[in-house]
Amino acid sequence: MDRDENKIEELSDTSAETIDASDEEDERLFGHQQHPTGADSPLVPPLFTSLPPIQDSLETETSQLQNRTIQECLPLLAAAERAAGGAIFDFNPYGLPRLDRERHVAFLQGSLGRLPSGFVAADASRPWMVYWALTCLYLLGQDLAQYREEVIATLTPMQNPDGGFGGGHGHYSHVAPSYAAVLSLVMVGGDEALNLIDRKAMWRWLGDLKQRDGGFQVCVGGEEDVRGAYCSMVIASLLNLPLELPSTSSAKQNDSDTLITGLREYLARCQTFEGGIADSPDNEAHGAFAFCALACLCLMDDPQKIINETLDVPRLISWLSSRQHAPEGGFAGRTNKLVDGCYSHWAGGCWPLIQAALDGPMPFDGPVAPTVGTIYSREGLTRYILCCCQGKRGGLRDKPSKHVDAYHSCYALVALSSTQHSYFYMGTAPDKPITPLTAAFHWASSPRVLDSNGEIQEPICDEEDRVKLIHPIFVIPWGVPETTRAWYEAKSGL
Amino acid sequence: MGSYADDSKWADIVPIPQDDGGPNALATIAYPDAYSEATSYLRAIMAKNEFSDRVLELTADIIDMNPAHYTVWLYRAKTLLQLNKDLREELDWVNPIALAHQKNYQIWHHRQLLTDKRNAYDGEREFIGEMLDEDSKNYHVWSYRQWLVRRFDLWDDKEIPFVEEMLKRDIRNNSAWNHRWFTVFGRYRPLTDIKHTEQSKQAASFAPLSQTGRTIESYPDSLIDREVAFAQEAIKLAPQNQSPWNYLSGVLREAGRPLATVKPFVEQFANLDEPEKVRSSHALDFLASIYAGEQPTSGPSSADESQKDVKKACQALDLLAEKYDPIRRFYWGWRKDIITKEARATGTA
Ligand SMILES: [Zn+2]
Ligand SMILES: [Zn+2]
Repeated sequence: MDRDENKIEELSDTSAETIDASDEEDERLFGHQQHPTGADSPLVPPLFTSLPPIQDSLETETSQLQNRTIQECLPLLAAAERAAGGAIFDFNPYGLPRLDRERHVAFLQGSLGRLPSGFVAADASRPWMVYWALTCLYLLGQDLAQYREEVIATLTPMQNPDGGFGGGHGHYSHVAPSYAAVLSLVMVGGDEALNLIDRKAMWRWLGDLKQRDGGFQVCVGGEEDVRGAYCSMVIASLLNLPLELPSTSSAKQNDSDTLITGLREYLARCQTFEGGIADSPDNEAHGAFAFCALACLCLMDDPQKIINETLDVPRLISWLSSRQHAPEGGFAGRTNKLVDGCYSHWAGGCWPLIQAALDGPMPFDGPVAPTVGTIYSREGLTRYILCCCQGKRGGLRDKPSKHVDAYHSCYALVALSSTQHSYFYMGTAPDKPITPLTAAFHWASSPRVLDSNGEIQEPICDEEDRVKLIHPIFVIPWGVPETTRAWYEAKSGL
Repeated sequence: MGSYADDSKWADIVPIPQDDGGPNALATIAYPDAYSEATSYLRAIMAKNEFSDRVLELTADIIDMNPAHYTVWLYRAKTLLQLNKDLREELDWVNPIALAHQKNYQIWHHRQLLTDKRNAYDGEREFIGEMLDEDSKNYHVWSYRQWLVRRFDLWDDKEIPFVEEMLKRDIRNNSAWNHRWFTVFGRYRPLTDIKHTEQSKQAASFAPLSQTGRTIESYPDSLIDREVAFAQEAIKLAPQNQSPWNYLSGVLREAGRPLATVKPFVEQFANLDEPEKVRSSHALDFLASIYAGEQPTSGPSSADESQKDVKKACQALDLLAEKYDPIRRFYWGWRKDIITKEARATGTA
């Protein structure tokens, strides 16, 4: 793993000296006046300002909702074209509004404060509230260590003797709040936070969730779905839990059974005829579950190997690619549903994982260059997030007609980060094959976006609108998964 | 002080107040007093593992204030089972809550648990219908219906007409299309088909796991014909509706029939001789697959190479990239790359 870490540093070092900064400055200073509104070279490509080329005349509920959504997005996507006078400076040379960093920070800090009684519906989701806000604050450049004491104080009463975390004090252990709690603790870091987790009990509890068909329940006696699998594997991987199934697990049929026995097969059964992935077998393909399934596979092995061996990749890509809409630019979660800011991550976040499956591992000691590169529209997604998801008073949202919230803020900003970076799965030395649940620690990244010719794609975001780098599988700050795992590896015993 | 503290029925219980993490805690909620009180009684009840009638009252009270509280639902289910309660009565109690909280999914797990225990499904399909009247694409409701059909072997004559009614209301309802797929093909594909055995590991060496374990030889020709015709009729109503295109392609692939068997139909909506008159980008996509000689992903090798034409496949993909679906232009370009590289390798270019 040492070699990989070096490689990661190398990569980010060389890529730090990106495009000549002075050019950018000029473009920002003088570019705006060079693009008069209505001229033959519009700021915003017509793809994002006009109706789709083919629309059926038959009206149904679906088409009405879709048209309404296009109509609420179009004015925001094209706003730079109509801006006149000083207002033009609200947009960058590509007609994108600025990232409203200060207001987003204020909104998310507020979401960590005292919430009004209407939030009673979020009573079982407080670990999520913490995770969403911390992730956003990191992306926006805030130091998370300042929240260390508070995070520990908040999550301590939610940890149960069985090892899992509940959504609140006295709630049953559940993988979703456990995932959010574990990620929040490792994000703020420090011995006290990392020691808080009872790994031995956590391991036994994951064994209780494991099912004989290979999947995981979300809580003991709860539903089984790919969320359960992804969250469980993130926890096991980050905390360096033993791979073997505890003897207390009712899923244990053979001595050799592990946490990942039958898991690939379970995930394979969730792929539908459309090519996408459902929450469990038989159900409809859905963006959130596609991410969970792909990320779960990437925790287990080399993405090229395991994704291609488990799923019908051409069908999966065909389905995933169809989820990106024009003119909106964002992603919908299912066929014939509407774009939504959170699918920028759930569907959009599948792309780096798919790309790693197509590119294959980067040579262990050679240059990093994608063979396939990006096959979705980073530009479209960036436009949807910055034009349509930003609320006027801070925070991000599903779509213009919806209110902002911490959940949509989190996944829109995570996705914005993904549009601004490239990720690579790094091959390992031949004598050091991947061991199960360590695959996700072998990724590298670059702040430059390279296309399949190895050429740099020009970013449409200005430097000041860039957000921080996030891990594409664990969805926590870049580098934290490795330091966390190393911390637990150095600790003797469970 | 509160309705529980003042009630002699609860006098024996010492409530456990919520520890929400002290003065420094994050994302604390200004709970209404009634909620705080009820949940402190719940913690106390759970700590002593009590299952009784008053627990049903308490959990009902909390659910009324916060139906997203998954623990309350699970504890309530345990209580109902312990007390041998009439579970049909419970389902009737749950119905209005489900209708009022469309997005809630804890309710659906509760429902599934109870229906499974009841070993009866009377009233369930009717209630699902009511829910779908409110939100025709509710993921949890459709998932519950799929579970119900499998659990009680309801591959009967009610499901297809139900799907057709839903599609009559909105031919673009993809959840209904998925349910049709499930109803038609699910019975041929028991969930136990893919086992983690050595056999499936071997299968993975030539096909991805998700493509193994099917019993395709058991599909009657007439069934496949019927499903192809159904998708085609739907496409005629609104050719730019992606759902029936995905369905059509899925049916052909599942049955091991070449995509080219529907080429004349596809060309009604996208014909390379008339590139200005494309009526469906999905038809163009389909046509590209036909010209690329894409093979059905499963089944006996019945790939039809006679329609293979790399140049035309590229022409269709270019039209998509430049004109009919340019937001996906990198994707169309990637497909073109694969086809041309493959052609160069096999010398067919
Ligand atoms: Zn400009
Ligand atoms: Zn959303």
